[in-house]
Amino acid sequence: MTVTAAAPAAAAGSEPLPSNSTQLRVLIVEDSPLDSELMLHGLQRGGGFDVTCDVVQTASAFREGVKKNPPEIVLADYNLGEWKGVETLEILRQEGLDIPVIIVTGALGDVAAVECIKQGATDYVLKDGLTRLPEVVRRALREKKERNLRRQAEQDLARKVDELARSNADLEQFAYVASHDLQEPLRMVTAYTQLLAERYAGKLDANADKYIGYASEGAQRMQVLIQDLLAFSRVGRNGFTHGNVDCNSVLEEVLTSLAPAMQECGAVVTHDALPSVWADRTQVAQIFQNLIGNAIKFRGQEPPVIAVEAEQADQCWRFSVSDNGIGIAPEYAETIFVVFQRLRARTEYPGNGIGLAICKKIIEHNGGRIWVEPQAGSGSSFKFTLPGHGPDPADGARS
Amino acid sequence: MKLLPELLVVDDNPADVALVSEALAGGLRHTKINSVGDGVEAMAFLNRREKYANSLRPDLVLLDLNLPKKDGLAVLAAMKANPDLRRIPVVIFSTSQLRKDVVRSYEVGANCYVRKPGNLNEFFAAVKSVEEFWFNFVNLPPKENDGLSNHERIAD
Repeated sequence: MTVTAAAPAAAAGSEPLPSNSTQLRVLIVEDSPLDSELMLHGLQRGGGFDVTCDVVQTASAFREGVKKNPPEIVLADYNLGEWKGVETLEILRQEGLDIPVIIVTGALGDVAAVECIKQGATDYVLKDGLTRLPEVVRRALREKKERNLRRQAEQDLARKVDELARSNADLEQFAYVASHDLQEPLRMVTAYTQLLAERYAGKLDANADKYIGYASEGAQRMQVLIQDLLAFSRVGRNGFTHGNVDCNSVLEEVLTSLAPAMQECGAVVTHDALPSVWADRTQVAQIFQNLIGNAIKFRGQEPPVIAVEAEQADQCWRFSVSDNGIGIAPEYAETIFVVFQRLRARTEYPGNGIGLAICKKIIEHNGGRIWVEPQAGSGSSFKFTLPGHGPDPADGARS
Repeated sequence: MKLLPELLVVDDNPADVALVSEALAGGLRHTKINSVGDGVEAMAFLNRREKYANSLRPDLVLLDLNLPKKDGLAVLAAMKANPDLRRIPVVIFSTSQLRKDVVRSYEVGANCYVRKPGNLNEFFAAVKSVEEFWFNFVNLPPKENDGLSNHERIAD
């Protein structure tokens, strides 16, 4: 049996409502006409709501009602004979509707009350305390509005994060493809200007030799730039395997590969016992290679003395690579990490200004950071952090 | 009489084919260079079809990966699937440094993978080393398929 008592609010109250009254569409689930009248009265007189209201008794009528004309709020009696008002919550969930439900009941034990809230009812109001109803309704509406705003904000944020990730990935892909595809034609230019230079040197006039020389140099420099750009864009791509990396053995390898350059200028590298970090081995090697390589390249009058140290910080290791070289003016402390930024003329110190940018990108991809501090006396000290261990498996399970 | 070593260059870039010729020109080995510009031509040459009916089987193939019509890996796979061609050593010669290209090439049966260097002198050095290695130090299989009788041939 389905009884749907339509009780339009306009007909229920004879007194004119205040003009600033709030419109409210309510669905009452109640088997006692007197009680629904009391609720309505409470909302209109006590609360100043301009109420439009339907009353239903059964679960199927309730389902029908919320589907056909979703109310802003549901007031449900707890005990409805064949079913309980708290079951409205399950129906709303099934229908995918987020409508606040307030249980209105004669007497409700603590256990039942807790159960109602646990099921998701916004609140419950006793029938002999209906004066509370308007305030409870207002709060329910306010909470729902806040919930919607929060959800909207979360969705906006998620979408922005998504867009950003996609545009970053596109950019990486672009840099990679561009530098990869640029290499092929450039290789022809480089090879053939070199061939011209070798085969025809002295056979044309002096200007021709010079011009071919310029073209050949330019092409070769561009080739190095593209290689660097490719290396830089590759840092953000997949294909790196993270694991425990023993920095001692990495440093040893780096020093072996730098040995000729070190011998040439009498460089000395001292180091502590270094920890293990969680990163890709090749990338860690690249960080040390670039920083120590720079310390050798940008040396002062004295032979380079370079110290590699590490100390434990909160969740990570803080490394430092310090030298007695020409140092970096404080105003350039940030710029040096930007790709292709150079402080010194190419003729003075060779290079494209990619090394520190690659270090920064690797370190930041690993959740660390890098910065430079001036050294007392002369030289500079590069500091960077790397995580000591991988992501906590418990963290992964929780998120 | 010992025949001159024959090299087949499969490359769609005539400038690269010219560089390979330049690299080997004037060398002691007098390697004979044939070249084709796409994968379909390469298969026609190797199978001595149509205008290639009178060409000799090459001793070595220098194969680019990025080719029109039929790419390098497809040519390599077709060669390795053909009992008449699978013995011919194949050197992949490509600009690609992509890991997947290197791995796939060896998986499909390349004998080695040489990256085309950007620098002219390195390019020449790479091509000359390939020539020196394969035509001086390596024992190449007999050119024609009459080297082994059926029971001598390793069963597939």
